[in-house]
Amino acid sequence: MKLNEELLREICEYMGSDLNSPPCKIIRDHMDACHNCEVYVDKIKQTIEIYRVADQCEEMPDNVTHNLLACLKLNDPFKTCDK
Amino acid sequence: METNLPEEELLVARAKQGDRAALSQLVVNYSSRIYHLGLRLSGNSQDAEDILQETFLIMLKKIGQFQGKSSFYTWIYRVAVNVGLRKLKSKPHKYDHISIDDPDFERVSTDAVREWPKFDFDVINDRRFRQKLDHLIEQLPEIYRTVFILRDLHELSTEDTSRILQITPSNAKIRLMRARNFLKERLESTVKAEAML
Repeated sequence: MKLNEELLREICEYMGSDLNSPPCKIIRDHMDACHNCEVYVDKIKQTIEIYRVADQCEEMPDNVTHNLLACLKLNDPFKTCDK
Repeated sequence: METNLPEEELLVARAKQGDRAALSQLVVNYSSRIYHLGLRLSGNSQDAEDILQETFLIMLKKIGQFQGKSSFYTWIYRVAVNVGLRKLKSKPHKYDHISIDDPDFERVSTDAVREWPKFDFDVINDRRFRQKLDHLIEQLPEIYRTVFILRDLHELSTEDTSRILQITPSNAKIRLMRARNFLKERLESTVKAEAML
């Protein structure tokens, strides 16, 4: 299915907006009938999801906040007092 | 992004008065987010720690000037992004030659397209695969990378992202669209290769 200019512009907007925002309804309705657009948006969503999951895998090392607080000469709320 | 705003406003008010416990708490609340922002911007953990440290040194120095016109998290993110971008500028650029284009919607609408093979998200646990992802995002010029990080990874709104980067919301949307499309195009071959393993 060939898209008209109006829809192309809206998809352009859609790709930079929240993926679940209300203005996307028209585009979603269109995509129900347009396999190519559906595949395109699925790939964009999957790209974002892959990066989000990858980001969650990269945990900040435990000592980073402690070292930072020490460097800033601030008390560490998690550190127990030495006896 | 989840932030308890009334509670945070009180914390910031105390921090502005020099309350060390409140300052500590702000560091604890934001250190992981700023670290991850720095990690994605710079691509390495040492620079991420440097960005983190410099961001909070600036916070200690300038929190008295924070007027509350925007939320604290917008303010601290702006400080961190500026610190991060300054750090990137001080290093040689590896991918200056890469140009970022708008998606070719004419092609999207006319060419036959194939779905990606089913992607096994467990692959992301593999450090080598994550390094491939890092390599792809490093190729994105900073103006696009920062928008992708703030909007898609840190889940900030378009409005907050545009305030942090001091660009218009429309500009933020265009940059995001180009960044997403760039990463999708580059990720295509990586995803297919993983599916064939």
